[in-house]
Amino acid sequence: MLALLAALAVACFLLVTGLSRAYQDQRQSLGSRWFSRGEADLNAGRYDAAVTDFRASLLYSRENYAYQLNLAEALIGIKHLGEASAYLLNLWDRQPDDGLVNLELARIAVQQGKNDQAIRYYHDAVYAVWPRDQEFQRRTARLELIELLLRLNQAADAQSELIALEANAGDNPELQTQIGDFFARAGDFDHALAAYNTALRADKHNQAALAGAGQSAFNLQRYSLAQHDLQAALALNPKDTQSAERLKTAELVLQMDPYRRQISALDRNRLVMQAFATAGQRLQACSTPASALPLPATANADLNKDWAALKPRITARDLLRDPDLMDSAMNLVFRIERSTAGSCGTPSGPDLALLLISKLHEGNS
Amino acid sequence: MATQSDSSPQIASLNEVPPPPGWMHSRELWRAFFREDRFFLVLSVFIGVFSGLAVVCFRYAIDWSRLYLLGTGVVLSPTRVLLAPTLAGLVIAVLVIHFFPRARGSGVNQTKAALYIYNGYIPFRTAIGKFITAALAIGSGHSLGPEDPSLQIGACLASALGRRMRLSRERMRLIAPVGAAAGLAAAFNAPISAVLFVIEEVIGRWTAGILGSVVLSAVSGVVVMRWFLGSEPLFRIPAVELRRPSELIAYAILGVVGGLASVVFAGGIAALRPRCKALPRWTQYFQPAIAGLLIGIIAMLGAPQVMGAGYEYIDQAMHGQFTWEFLAILAGLKILATLLSFVSGTPGGMFAPTLFIGAMLGAAVGGAEHYLLPHLTISPGTYALVGMGVLFAGFLRVPMTSVFMVLEVSGNYSIIVPVIVANTFAYVISRGLQPLAIFDLLTRQDGLDLPSMEEQREEDILHVEDAMQPVQGPVLDAGLSLDQALRTLDHSEIEHLLVRMRPNSWGVVTKEQVQQAAAAGNTSANVGSLLSEQTVPYLHPDLPLEVALRYVDRWPLIPVVSRANFGQLEGVISQADVLRRYREFGEG
Repeated sequence: MLALLAALAVACFLLVTGLSRAYQDQRQSLGSRWFSRGEADLNAGRYDAAVTDFRASLLYSRENYAYQLNLAEALIGIKHLGEASAYLLNLWDRQPDDGLVNLELARIAVQQGKNDQAIRYYHDAVYAVWPRDQEFQRRTARLELIELLLRLNQAADAQSELIALEANAGDNPELQTQIGDFFARAGDFDHALAAYNTALRADKHNQAALAGAGQSAFNLQRYSLAQHDLQAALALNPKDTQSAERLKTAELVLQMDPYRRQISALDRNRLVMQAFATAGQRLQACSTPASALPLPATANADLNKDWAALKPRITARDLLRDPDLMDSAMNLVFRIERSTAGSCGTPSGPDLALLLISKLHEGNS
Repeated sequence: MATQSDSSPQIASLNEVPPPPGWMHSRELWRAFFREDRFFLVLSVFIGVFSGLAVVCFRYAIDWSRLYLLGTGVVLSPTRVLLAPTLAGLVIAVLVIHFFPRARGSGVNQTKAALYIYNGYIPFRTAIGKFITAALAIGSGHSLGPEDPSLQIGACLASALGRRMRLSRERMRLIAPVGAAAGLAAAFNAPISAVLFVIEEVIGRWTAGILGSVVLSAVSGVVVMRWFLGSEPLFRIPAVELRRPSELIAYAILGVVGGLASVVFAGGIAALRPRCKALPRWTQYFQPAIAGLLIGIIAMLGAPQVMGAGYEYIDQAMHGQFTWEFLAILAGLKILATLLSFVSGTPGGMFAPTLFIGAMLGAAVGGAEHYLLPHLTISPGTYALVGMGVLFAGFLRVPMTSVFMVLEVSGNYSIIVPVIVANTFAYVISRGLQPLAIFDLLTRQDGLDLPSMEEQREEDILHVEDAMQPVQGPVLDAGLSLDQALRTLDHSEIEHLLVRMRPNSWGVVTKEQVQQAAAAGNTSANVGSLLSEQTVPYLHPDLPLEVALRYVDRWPLIPVVSRANFGQLEGVISQADVLRRYREFGEG
C-alpha cells in the first residue's frame, strides 16, 4: 500500500510539474511583456506609467532582479524614494556588489540627507561590478562621491578620490578639466593646474581649461603664467568676467611689485611711493566710522603714527639715498594691507594687488 | 477499537498468503515496524505531500482565475471589476447550493467538526468543491483568502487517505488536523504557525504522537510547495528594530486599536451572518453576486486593493507607499468587503483578509503616531507586521499562533517584544468586548456544539488542594504496637487512619481492624502487620483534581504530601471530598 501511495505521489508530482511549467511559462511571458512596456515608458520619461508597468511585471515574477531595479528607478523618477529604497535594499541584500544598486542607493541617501550612508554606497559603487562600461560607470560614481565630499567640506577625502580618478582619467580634456575644477574646489591648485595642462595638451583651445589653469596659477601666485592663461581664455570667451577680473588683478600685481627684477631704480622707487600712498588711503578709509569694521583704536593709531612718521621720508631722493628705506616702506605697506584686510574685508584693485604682493614676498620680509 | 496490527492493511495482505518459514522473522519485523502509530507517521508525510501538491494547484487555479477574470495588469478595467465578482458570485452560489454545500465558509470549523463529530470523515467531494469555488471567488476579487480553504482541502485529502488505509477510529479522528496543518503550512509558507494554529484552535492538546504527525505533514507540505512556488516570503520584510523601550507604548496603542477593530469585524459577522442565512432560500443564489457587485463598486470608487487576498498591497503598505489616512480607509473598507463576502456564504478564508486589515491598520496607526510624534523612528513596515499579529490575536483569537506567525514571517527576533505587547492588549480587549471567539461563534451559528479551544484554555482547573481536607485524628506509625495504637485511638472518633511507613510510603487501617487484632490477643504485634501489601498512593496539592479520581474509589483516604518533603503531610482527600468539590464547582 505504501508503494502504491508512493507511486501515486510520484504520478501527481509529475502531473503538477507539467502544470507548473505551463503556469511558469505563462507568467514569464506576461512579466516580460509588462517589463518591455515599462522599459519603453521609462526611457521616454513617463515614470508614472513605468511604475504601473513594472508593478504588473512584478506580479508575475516578484523576485525578478531586473524588474525590481527598473521599478526602483521609475519610483525615483516620481520621487517615491522610500519605496524605491526598499526595493534597492532588497536587491542589495541579494547582490551587494551591484554597482547600479549602490549608486542609486547613494543618490537616494544624498537626497534624504543621510551623507554617511551615501558615502558608503558611493564607495561600494566605485568598486562594484558593472555589467557594461565599467570604467565609465565607476568614474561617474566617483565624480558624484567627490562632489558630495566637497559639499561636506571633506577636502582631504575628496583629494584622495581625485588622485585615484586622475590616474585613470587619460587625456580626455573634458574629464581633465572637470578633475581640475574639483582639485581647485578642494584647494589643491598644483594638481588642478596639472589637470588643466593635461586637458590643454589634448586641446589647447579649451577655454574652460585655460580659465581654470589661469585661476590655479593665480592661486599659486604664479601671476605671469596666470596672466598668460587668462588672456588666452578671455580671447576665446571675452564674456568670462571672472577670468577678466582675475587677469586685471594679476596684471596689477605684476605692475605694482617693486621687488620684481629687471626694472630701473627710478621705476622701483616710483612703485614704492605709489604703494605707500595707496596704503595710506586704505588706512584712512578703513579708519572712518563708515567702514564695515574699523580698525581697533590702538592698531589704527600705531599704523597711522608709523605711516605719518615715514611719509616725509618717502621721496624719490630719500629712497635713492637710503636703499633700506624701500624695505621699511614696503613693510609698513604690507602691514597696513594685511591689517585692513582682516578688519575691513578683502580689498580690490590696487589694494588687493598689494595684499597679494605682500603674500608673495612673505618669506623675504 | 480495532487492534493496531489488525487494522494495518499491510499486515492483512501478508496474512492472506502463508509465508515460507524463512520469512517469519522478517514478517514479525515488518509487523513490529509498521505498528499503526508508526504507520501513521509515514502516512503523515504522504498527507503533507498530497496536500502540498493540492495547494500548489489551488494557487495556480486562483492565479488563472484572476488572470482571465480581472486581467493581467495592476490597473483593472472598470467593467471587469464590476462584472467578474458579480458573475463569479452567481456561479459560486449555484455550485455551493446544488453540488458542494459543505464548501461554504472558511473550512476551519468543518475540520474541527470532522475531529469531534464525524470521526475524521470529510467527503472528498468537499475538497473538490472548495477548490473550485474558493479559487473562483478569490480569483474574481471576492475579499477572501486561500489559507483556510487550503486547510480544509488538506483535511479532506487526509480523511480520504485515512479511510483508504482503514485506520482505526482513534487515528481517523486525528487525521483531519494532520491534513489541515499540511494545507495551511503550504498555503501560508509558514510551518510553525500552521502547526501551532492546528494545535491551538483545532486539536487543543499537545501529545507527542499528534505533534509528530502534524509537524511531519506540515513540513512535507511546505517542502512540496516551495519546490514548485519557491521559498519567497509572502511579502518583503522591512528592517525591524526596537531602539527605545518607550516605543512599546506606541505598539500598545496599536494593540488597543487592533482589539477594537477585531471587535467591530467579529461583531459584524455575528450580526450579519444569521440575518443573511435567515433570508429566503432563493436569495442565496444572489447573495454572493450582490456581495461581489458591492466589492466591485468599492474597487471602482478607488480602492481596488480590497479585492482578493491582497498580499501585494500588504507588501506596498509595509514599504510606505500609502499615506496613513488611506491606509486607515483601506482597513475599514477591507473589513466591509470581507464581511460582505463572508456573510454571503462565498467559500474562502479569513486569514488573508485578517492579515490585510492588520497590516493596513498597523501602518495607519504607525503613520498617525509618526505624524503626531515625528521623533518616533519606527518604520511603517514594522507597524504593519505587528498589526498583522494584532488582528490574528484579536480577531482569530489565537494568541500563541499570532506571535509565532509574525516571528516566522519576519524572521526577526527583535519584533517579538512589540508583538507580545500589542497582541496582549488586542486579545484582552477583544475577549472583554466579544466573549465568544469567532470560530466558536460560527460553530454556534451553524448549530453545532464543538469544544471551544479558547474556553478550554481559559477554563479554571481544579487542583487536589481545592478538595483536600486537613488531617483529622492521629497518624499512626507502622512500628507502633497494637497496644499503643489502641490507647491512641481511644480518644479518636475517626474510622480510617493513615499509617506512615518508612521511608515515604503510606497505608490505611480502620479503627475496627486495630480493635479486632487487639481483641485476638495479638497486642505485641505492630500496626504495620495489619496493612495490605499494596501501599496507598500519595498525591501532591498542585495536581489536577482529576488525578485523584483514579485512586479515591480504591482507597478510603489518600494522603496529600509536600513535593519538597514527601514525609510532610499537607492533608488528606477522599472520594466524598472530590465529588463535593466538583459539585460545588458545577454549581458555580
